[in-house]
Amino acid sequence: MQKAVEDLGIGGSVDSIHLLIRTGEPVFIIKIRYKEATGKSILGELARVEERQKGLRISLENEFDLADALRALWTAYGRSKVEQAGRTEIFVTGADPAEIKRVRVRDKEIDMAGKINELAMRVIPEGFRVRSVRRSQGETTFIAAEDPIREEWREMAAKLGAGE
Amino acid sequence: MLKYVIFEGGLYRHERLLEFLEDVGGFVVQKTVAGLDLILNMAVPEEELPRLTAISGELKGKLREAPLIGTEIGIVAPTLSRHHLPHPACDIAEHLRRHGAKTNIMGLARGVGQKLVHTSAGERELIEEHDLAVFTLGNFEHCLSFKSPLFRELSIPVIVTGGPTSIGSIRGAQGYVGGIGRYPERFRTGEMIERLREISDLAGRLIEERRREIDQDPLAVDPVVVKEEVERQVPDALEALSPNPVTLKIDGIRVKLPFGQYSEKVANAVINGRRLGEVAVIKRSLMRDYILIRVLPRSKLPGGFVAAESRIP
Repeated sequence: MQKAVEDLGIGGSVDSIHLLIRTGEPVFIIKIRYKEATGKSILGELARVEERQKGLRISLENEFDLADALRALWTAYGRSKVEQAGRTEIFVTGADPAEIKRVRVRDKEIDMAGKINELAMRVIPEGFRVRSVRRSQGETTFIAAEDPIREEWREMAAKLGAGE
Repeated sequence: MLKYVIFEGGLYRHERLLEFLEDVGGFVVQKTVAGLDLILNMAVPEEELPRLTAISGELKGKLREAPLIGTEIGIVAPTLSRHHLPHPACDIAEHLRRHGAKTNIMGLARGVGQKLVHTSAGERELIEEHDLAVFTLGNFEHCLSFKSPLFRELSIPVIVTGGPTSIGSIRGAQGYVGGIGRYPERFRTGEMIERLREISDLAGRLIEERRREIDQDPLAVDPVVVKEEVERQVPDALEALSPNPVTLKIDGIRVKLPFGQYSEKVANAVINGRRLGEVAVIKRSLMRDYILIRVLPRSKLPGGFVAAESRIP
């Protein structure tokens, strides 16, 4: 599970994952709570830009944007001027703050629901081919089994992680 | 009885090993040269092993026993999806190769679930073309108990790997190695590499057992001899681009040439004064139309076994 989250690069966006596995029935329920993607795509919207003595320090709000931000800055200023300073921090030398805030980090919006869907598909045992999905704002619940989904499983899924 | 060993050392003066093998009736199963390094998989008569050890010591090389040399092992995953491949299957296969085995990785069509799980006749036949099969199953003890339809009808030894370490054995399998299951990354830790070692050791024991069984009713010709003769008499076999174009197995060989074009030539190869077709079953392999040769035990030879010396005029 941990490896699947790492591979998809959504560690910073997933708030919690609850699993209920009953091999005897058999049923597999997974509830994932996550932060919805913001739809922001300009660096000025995604990060705080501070002027330092030798350049600009860019602090991203979400680690998820790091790869795209680095790619965009490397394209705009070259690798020699852009340095990753931490998990959410980038240091750029010789750039104008107003100009850097206008750098477009990505063209398309992130399909976070698609990534969560992919995460669940990777984790759910492959033999459990009867599936039921319930999505709401920032939360997706999958019920997977070999038999038709029972009402009691739906109730269990609804209660899963409710104590938080 | 032949002993299988791996020599790892330099290329310099390795001809001494080849000459020694020729003198004592040993065989080179596989020779891999990488720069100035050499890995030599050999079969040598058991009583000559101390002398071979002495020579490899003089050449400053390492010699280790590898019972998996001369075996073809199938690693079977429940499906070809990313749930089951590549890590456990590939890492197990790589470790078995380091111990001398030739490995093939397969994925079943419906090896998943508790109710769905089954194998087709074709899949079973393909798995049985190997000398041993390793099934890489999942994490849940309860689910593993439903998986025996995958391997209970197989006539070859089976090792099962899975997640739970608490269970000692699985019905229908000759061995079980726990602590693996659906492992999603390379086996890097010492603990995981120890699991791989367990699988190789277990495979080695099962293969030795199978060889001892075969010794009760010996094969008409040793498969190593068949390999050498086929390579000599059908030189196209060595030109095939597949890895290990003539693969040694416990009870025969696999020749990676098209069956339709070459089966007759292979069957006509003369070994110890007899056509190969007389002492072996030659059939079309389910793997890419290759030629599969299974040497008959002496008890099953038509007309009984006649020692080669008595037939040479």
